[in-house]
Amino acid sequence: MNKNILIIFIKKYKFSYIVGLVFMFLSSYVQTLFPKILGNTVDILKIKGFKPERIYVNIGWILLIAAGTFAFTYIWRNLVIGNARKLECYLREKLFDHFQILSPEFYNQRKTGDLIAYAINDINAVRQTLGPALSMAINGIVVCAISVYSMTRAVNWQLTLMALLPVPVMVYIMIHIGKAVKKRFKRVQETFASISDRVNENINGMRVIKSYVQEEKEVERFEKLNDQMVDSNLSMIRVSAFLPPLIELCFTVSFVINLIWGGNMVLKGSISLGDFIAFNGYLTMILAPVLSIGQVTTIFQRGMASFGRLNQIMSVKPCIEDTGTIMQPPRGQIKINKLTFTYPGTGKAALKNIGLTIPKGHILGIIGKTGSGKSTLVNLLLKMYPIGNGLIYFGDKDINEFKLEALRSGIGVVPQDNFMFHASVADNIRFFKEIYKPEEVIKAAQDSCIYESIMEFPKGFEAVLGERGVNISGGQKQRISIARALVREPEILVLDDALSAVDTVTESKILNNLRRVRKNKTTVIVASRISAVMQADEIIVLDKGEIRERGTHAQLIDKGGIYNEIYRYQFGTGKLESVG
Amino acid sequence: MRSTDTSSVLENWNPSVKGEQKKKSFKRLMLLNLPHLKKILAAALCVLLVNGAALAKPYILKIVIDDFLTSHIPQKGIYSLTGMGILYFVLVAFSGGFGIAQVNLINKAGQEILRNLRSQVFRTIQLLPLKYLDKTSSGSLITKATNDVEALSQLYTDVFMSFFKDIFLIIGIVSAMLILDVRLTLVSFCVVPAMFAFIFLLRTKIKQNFRKMKYLVGRINGFMAENLSGMKLIQIFHGEAERKKDFKKLNDGYYKVTSFQVWMNSFLKPAANVFRNITVAILIWYGMDKIAGGTLQIGILYAFATYIQQFFEPISDLADNYTNIQSAFVSADRIFELLDQKENLEDLEEGIGMERVDGNIEFKHVWFTYNDQDWILKDVSFIVRKGQTAAFVGQTGAGKTTIISLISGFYKIQKGEILINGVNINDIKKRDLRRNIAVVLQEVFLFSETIGKNISLNDEIDPGTIKEAVTASYAKEFVESFPGKINEPVMERGNTLSAGQRQLISFARAIAHNPSVIVLDEATANIDSQTEILIQKAIANMAKDRTALIIAHRLSTIRGADKIVVLDHGRIVECGNHAELMENGRYYKNMVLEGITA
Repeated sequence: MNKNILIIFIKKYKFSYIVGLVFMFLSSYVQTLFPKILGNTVDILKIKGFKPERIYVNIGWILLIAAGTFAFTYIWRNLVIGNARKLECYLREKLFDHFQILSPEFYNQRKTGDLIAYAINDINAVRQTLGPALSMAINGIVVCAISVYSMTRAVNWQLTLMALLPVPVMVYIMIHIGKAVKKRFKRVQETFASISDRVNENINGMRVIKSYVQEEKEVERFEKLNDQMVDSNLSMIRVSAFLPPLIELCFTVSFVINLIWGGNMVLKGSISLGDFIAFNGYLTMILAPVLSIGQVTTIFQRGMASFGRLNQIMSVKPCIEDTGTIMQPPRGQIKINKLTFTYPGTGKAALKNIGLTIPKGHILGIIGKTGSGKSTLVNLLLKMYPIGNGLIYFGDKDINEFKLEALRSGIGVVPQDNFMFHASVADNIRFFKEIYKPEEVIKAAQDSCIYESIMEFPKGFEAVLGERGVNISGGQKQRISIARALVREPEILVLDDALSAVDTVTESKILNNLRRVRKNKTTVIVASRISAVMQADEIIVLDKGEIRERGTHAQLIDKGGIYNEIYRYQFGTGKLESVG
Repeated sequence: MRSTDTSSVLENWNPSVKGEQKKKSFKRLMLLNLPHLKKILAAALCVLLVNGAALAKPYILKIVIDDFLTSHIPQKGIYSLTGMGILYFVLVAFSGGFGIAQVNLINKAGQEILRNLRSQVFRTIQLLPLKYLDKTSSGSLITKATNDVEALSQLYTDVFMSFFKDIFLIIGIVSAMLILDVRLTLVSFCVVPAMFAFIFLLRTKIKQNFRKMKYLVGRINGFMAENLSGMKLIQIFHGEAERKKDFKKLNDGYYKVTSFQVWMNSFLKPAANVFRNITVAILIWYGMDKIAGGTLQIGILYAFATYIQQFFEPISDLADNYTNIQSAFVSADRIFELLDQKENLEDLEEGIGMERVDGNIEFKHVWFTYNDQDWILKDVSFIVRKGQTAAFVGQTGAGKTTIISLISGFYKIQKGEILINGVNINDIKKRDLRRNIAVVLQEVFLFSETIGKNISLNDEIDPGTIKEAVTASYAKEFVESFPGKINEPVMERGNTLSAGQRQLISFARAIAHNPSVIVLDEATANIDSQTEILIQKAIANMAKDRTALIIAHRLSTIRGADKIVVLDHGRIVECGNHAELMENGRYYKNMVLEGITA
């Protein structure tokens, strides 16, 4: 991605741009011929016993102008404005590509809403600049130049100057009142946004509001905003209502000057009636471009700013380099070698001196509080952050030797935040990949104990999540996430606190299934609940980024350390042994 | 012809309303105008005056051209070149004044109507029963209260009035032309119908296509939002190519629709010029003999050309407004559908007043279903006495959450009885009932207010009480650590707070409202063990001297309860305290054993 994305696009379509611009000039030029022909016709008509042929020629011209205007406009609009639309979609696609290669680090710092604004608003602003605004500007300049020239030719420069005198006033009024309207309009939008927020929050918090009987006071608060909405709207209208009449009044001054002065010139015989009418026609022609000055400059300014913003975002580089060459997914034992890791931009190490070997086919349990470094370890196994050489090995190969695609396709992860897409359950499980057969998807769902819940949806596996009637709980989401990882049958499976919202009975069922289907494959279970890890081949206890204890469940209970403490806390006072 | 085959990306695109419904909505919309009739009539009068001025302007020009510039009639007084110029100026000034008055008047009326509508919609939403809210997505309700009302705003302030204005302008132009020259009018009308059809159809199509574009932008927006939030997952699962494919489908679909827009606009944009030229050509062709014969004046020809041009704007407007009205009807329909819920709204004041509930709760053979099909609760009976703590356990979907909702009177049961203080819950004033019962849900909802405001909500609770509540809920320590302490604003619905901290704030909220019954859905979410200890202590504080009903997930909570109600598929399978159930029960014992030793 580079700065020249616009230039590349324009070069690619340079032929259509050149042809488009030529026809744009032609259409502007053709239009300016009309007042002159009309004036000339009037003059001919005024002559007693005029020759009809001369009129026919003029009628022919008028029709030719009509045809030309239509044909030329049709051509340039489809080329120039069409290109702008093409550019819009092209930029959006490039941006989407770019978003897909950026690292989690980037997304941690940016809000989703802001990023979408790039794809919609900023790209739109660029499109408007290179489409409508550019053509309005070119068209306006050509029309104005030819009109003013023709006006001086038809009458004289003095009247032209006089007639154009109100134009600066018009521009001033437009800018001045336009500013005030914009300011007040902003207030309207802000109030509307507040109302939206208010309603949004109110509806989402409806259960709290109802439980605490807050309905009436909520209405009172809403009414205040409602009044503000009315006020801000009316205050904008009070100003904006002046704009069109004032502009028209200015134009009327020009018109009346021509009417009186120009009319008297006709009476004196220094110009013909046709010249007078042509002059009038040109005066009207100038009006439209002048009125659009404000609009065009605003669009240009916005477009430039947006283009700058787009360039900035497009030049952000992903912080992970995909330089590995191994195309096969990792196999064999996992070895972590004196791994210390600090998140970029923070001074504190999130992991300290982690040494760990997980033999193939083992289940490793990792337990620890929030912030102990569990998820960091998972992120590093997936190389979500850049990592040095010699720290993590799969088999005898360093993690950096694997191509990212190979690495990640070999590791199935169930992340903490079980994100669901607005798509069918089946698509969520197979992650939009058509390579998995329906039986495989069903089996993954069964193994993660979500099959029955799915079958209760109106359309089963084809039910679209988030649509009416398909509301799923946090526990169900987690289980779909697990199915998503299982369907890939990865060599290495990592559950990152993926059972926290599942009740204990289901949890034990899932763990049993895992033991069955994951024989001879490596599984890492990260949890804060003892029940999830107690059956593991080895358990490590993480605290503040360090391994504090390691061993089997029985060993760690006997040890009487942190693990034992968590165990006693989670299972009551420790008297449960007598029960079980 | 270009194709607009974008059906795959437009699958949910269907903005139309049925005809019958349309008529009804239109009538109701018009009725809303009634209270503001005076303002509206005054505005209509202004419109007529503005229209009159618009019609008079070409006529003045005609007088100038014919009388002074062609026939050289001697000028005197106002009947002169200068006089006509001044008259023209005065006319424009007056019409401007009336225009300003009209816009202000109509907007005052329109905004009043909207204020009213907005307020009604919001009030209705407040009192909607949960039964309705369950069926409706919050998104669509929000749209009703905001965007749909705004869509009507355009209707009242712009559309109605310009509709009126345009129709009268068209009538006015035609009359003026007829008065000037009947035959010339008929000749010029060989163009007008074609022009009318062309512009009206094209504009309507363009508007409809524009709404398609907006819909697709919304889809792209949603798609992007989803993928950006799930980007980490996409990268982990290497789904970039698949997601890009779907995005490209949407983006290309959008491109097709926009190209169609560009294509249609390339016909419309030059239309004004082209039609004017054609009409002028026809007028000249028809008029040249008459002018030569002296039966037609050049000025009339010129005025006609201007009049024909004046047709343009109202026709374009009419087409725009036609589609605007259609989309406003869709919005109006949605709003009226909501307002029609009137009979179903909750009445907070109806029933027996109960200042203080002391907290005896009894379920007597309660049967309940949300959808009149599947029984969620089947013959559930239990008693929780004043001051007791009851724990409800069972698998997801066993009916635990439903019991909680029933106690607050959010749903009506189909069979059996729920007694609070011995009184049937249906007979108790809902306001009093809910005041006495504080509900703490698993997913804590925090408002974008200060922490203090989140605890007191809109109620006047003195700072001392809030402070005590914060202390009792063990939220004090972390609240004090904020720079603003209790006045620290909660950002983005509490996303900056941990799940445990949010929970503690919601406990403080419950305690501060001093209820006699606490209903708690214990969080299953993963909370660090330090906060976990605080939560346990806070729950103990809350339950002290109160009746507490807890959907429990932690054994420690369950063990401390006076009564454990074990639910399975909507039935109570076991009931008793921990020791009893471990002794005699099967289901509960299994749960405990499986969860721990399986």
